[in-house]
Amino acid sequence: MRITQGTFSFLPDLSDLEIRAQIDYALDQGWAIGIEHTDDPHPRNFYWEMWGNPMFDLRDAAGVMGDLGACRQAHPRAYIRLNAFDSTRGFETTRLSFIVQRPLDEPGFQLKRHEMEGRRIQYTIESYAACAPEGRRYPE
Amino acid sequence: MASARDRYKSGVMPYAQMGYWDADYEPKDTDVIAVFRISPQEGVDPIEAAAAVAGESSTATWTVVWTDRLTACDAYRAKAYRVDPVPGAPGQYFSYIAYDLDLFEEGSIANLTASIIGNVFGFKPLKALRLEDMRIPVAYLKTFQGPATGIVVERERLDKFGRPLLGATTKPKLGLSSKNYGRVVYEALKGGLDFVKDDENINSQPFMHWRDRFLYCMEAVNKASAATGEVKGHYLNVTAATMEDMYERAEFAKQLGSCIVMIDLVIGYTAIQSMAKWARRNDMILHLHRAGHGTYTRQKTHGVSFRVIAKWMRMAGVDHIHAGTVVGKLEGDPNVIKGIYSICRDSFTFRNLEYGVFFDQDWAGLRKLMPVASGGIHAGQMHQLLTYLGEDVVLQFGGGTIGHPQGIQAGATANRVALETMIKARNEGQDIWNDGPEILAAAAKWCSPLRAALDTWKDVTFNYQSTDTADFVPTAVTA
Amino acid sequence: MNDPAPDSSGPHDITQSVDVQALSADTRIGDVLDELDRELVGLKPVKARVRDIAALLLIERARKQVGLAAGSPSLHMSFTGNPGTGKTTVAMRMAQILHRLGYLRRGHVVAVTRDDLVGQYIGHTAPKTKEVLKKAMGGVLFIDEAYYLYRPENERDYGQEAIEILLQVMENHRDDLVVILAGYRERMETFFRSNPGLSSRIAHHLDFPDYSPAELESIAARMLESMQYRLSSSGAAALRDYIPLRMRQAHFANARSIRNALDRARLRQANRLFARAGSKLTRDELMTIDDADIRPSRVFTQGEP
Repeated sequence: MRITQGTFSFLPDLSDLEIRAQIDYALDQGWAIGIEHTDDPHPRNFYWEMWGNPMFDLRDAAGVMGDLGACRQAHPRAYIRLNAFDSTRGFETTRLSFIVQRPLDEPGFQLKRHEMEGRRIQYTIESYAACAPEGRRYPE
Repeated sequence: MASARDRYKSGVMPYAQMGYWDADYEPKDTDVIAVFRISPQEGVDPIEAAAAVAGESSTATWTVVWTDRLTACDAYRAKAYRVDPVPGAPGQYFSYIAYDLDLFEEGSIANLTASIIGNVFGFKPLKALRLEDMRIPVAYLKTFQGPATGIVVERERLDKFGRPLLGATTKPKLGLSSKNYGRVVYEALKGGLDFVKDDENINSQPFMHWRDRFLYCMEAVNKASAATGEVKGHYLNVTAATMEDMYERAEFAKQLGSCIVMIDLVIGYTAIQSMAKWARRNDMILHLHRAGHGTYTRQKTHGVSFRVIAKWMRMAGVDHIHAGTVVGKLEGDPNVIKGIYSICRDSFTFRNLEYGVFFDQDWAGLRKLMPVASGGIHAGQMHQLLTYLGEDVVLQFGGGTIGHPQGIQAGATANRVALETMIKARNEGQDIWNDGPEILAAAAKWCSPLRAALDTWKDVTFNYQSTDTADFVPTAVTA
Repeated sequence: MNDPAPDSSGPHDITQSVDVQALSADTRIGDVLDELDRELVGLKPVKARVRDIAALLLIERARKQVGLAAGSPSLHMSFTGNPGTGKTTVAMRMAQILHRLGYLRRGHVVAVTRDDLVGQYIGHTAPKTKEVLKKAMGGVLFIDEAYYLYRPENERDYGQEAIEILLQVMENHRDDLVVILAGYRERMETFFRSNPGLSSRIAHHLDFPDYSPAELESIAARMLESMQYRLSSSGAAALRDYIPLRMRQAHFANARSIRNALDRARLRQANRLFARAGSKLTRDELMTIDDADIRPSRVFTQGEP
């Protein structure tokens, strides 16, 4: 399957040129860029691993692309996403977030149903990948 | 104002002389200020009419009463301090009236509205009366909870940033059984929408009981979430006959794990505030459908402007409010809509007469209210929607999803692809207003649901004269 | 703004022409050069070099447009001269020119010294230097007193690591950033001799001569005007005497020293006016710097500023 988290997941995977354009847009707004990666893409897993701290005061995408390249090398089979953080009062949150790398094969999620009283069902979503230990979740 | 002895002699006296008109009055930072559009009857002086409105929305009655003198009466009198003719509309006047903070109960929309609009709208000397805008002082705003969740927290809960959210109302509006209803929800969410919603009149009817709907909808929501890896939701309508019923339904929605519930405006301000409090206590996003507003918001001459309703609703504490689409099937002039959206989602709303916003409004840290655009919009309008409405909005494509020739999933996908494509293009610096159709056509080349959507609806527009437009238009300035 | 890729396919039309004037007008580098002329007094040779470089890069672009590829030129520079001679200002104008000609995507300047690049312990330098480089991408990295990076006498000094990283970036990221090294001339020359790799990557050396006394007077006049002061004729004479004396003394920093001298003169003027009990002060008096505000300087008496 293909998880559709992030702002551009329904579009074909972004090329490096397209990624740069989005980074430049975020930098133009004065936002800081953070790179994160994970092998557990559960929808409620908000905290992916950070690849370094968010980068502040950058003016050009080249700085981010260098770090992104290093992250890709270190984690070739993980999900990687870019976040843009806005510190303006009234926002103080993420303003843009999109996936820039995915594992070749995404196994997806199992919906577990636990019957309760009446017709009620308690639902849990479990990531197939996360059943394996870290580091062995996605095939070569 | 006349001397005390003259002022309190029995009999009838013009309102303007009873203390309700004061051209020199400077509103305090703690005053609540209202601007009314007054259409006095023939022969009624506009200042007297304004003073009468001030009087009848505060302490006056039609004749002098001695019991006034048992009170610090001047403090409680509302003061009309300014009357301006409405440009281009002879016989209509904008009248500014200030109310002392002590007139109002803390944190109560019911009281605020009963005070301002509870009495004066049927007043005979006025042909028509409309409440155009209000300035709420920070001192009063701080007594309100404000949106239970707010735009920032909603996005963080959904983990969705950088684009409008997408929704749809299940169609047909009425008649589906619960299981069939849930099917629509599943298809739309799986195809790519973030939310589906109940319509305002879906509560609990013979053709579908509310508990069954909730159960089937949550099955659909969870299935779609597992299939996509995204957080999904369905606005479960908990509107009911009594508060007790509403709490019961809301509790059930919470038990089932829904992230969002909805209520209709017709439940009333008290019920809305109760639900907002409940929503915050229970980590629930609260969607408000503005059912019934059109009866009093649409005509320029009489009623309450929707921007005032939006203000009250932000104070009351809902998280979503239907606020207009500009290009869809329901009323919405672009400038007026801009003003309303600013009231919903800015931290500070600036006075702008072209947008119909009469006052600077400091929102005192009250969370931001997400506007919802719903009604007759489709994927082919994505560039216009993004330009007019911005990014912090929920775009709802009911017919535009469910009526798609290739099916509901395809309809949802078409909308999602159109949206992401347009956002990407905008970020890249493309001119989406002018090149929008080409940008969509380029995406349609690789996305057949989008191509089908554009082919089906490309000629649909709703071009009618707006009934509620701003009165102030920018005049050309000589160079 | 990116240059069109060089066209390397098929025969070229040798009569193809490029309207260089239009290109120049389009990129508005004339505005930047004019602004440079206006805002800095003197510096004739520097301004001439800047114009030369601008012309070279403009013609490079013109050549690219007709398909004459030349690879990306090296743009790294060194600016040598005493303090207060306008090096930072020229760096900013250079960044603007490079941006307008399409060699830099952003055209901002990040100005650093050794301490911004070098860490205090093992492993500290590389991330520190890389952080600075990321911020400078798209623009100019201006390293003042660059020779402090090299301290061969201290074997625990991490400056060499920073130099290695800089060398690599100057070679491999020529499209992403331009490095300008700045400092005193003799020390820069020593620095380059000990680091030939660095020296070989520098395409343009600009030397910033000291200002002449007349130029310094002119700078003083501009500074006073912007602060809304004026010199009386005796004050002007005093300043004319002051400047050559000051120039001969230690730590002369050209425009900066003039600035400091004027600040002290303003202080003396304030005291003088305040001490005058009784009468009101006219606007003219408030504006005027007199020789009494300049002569007391120790430059005249003790040979110190």
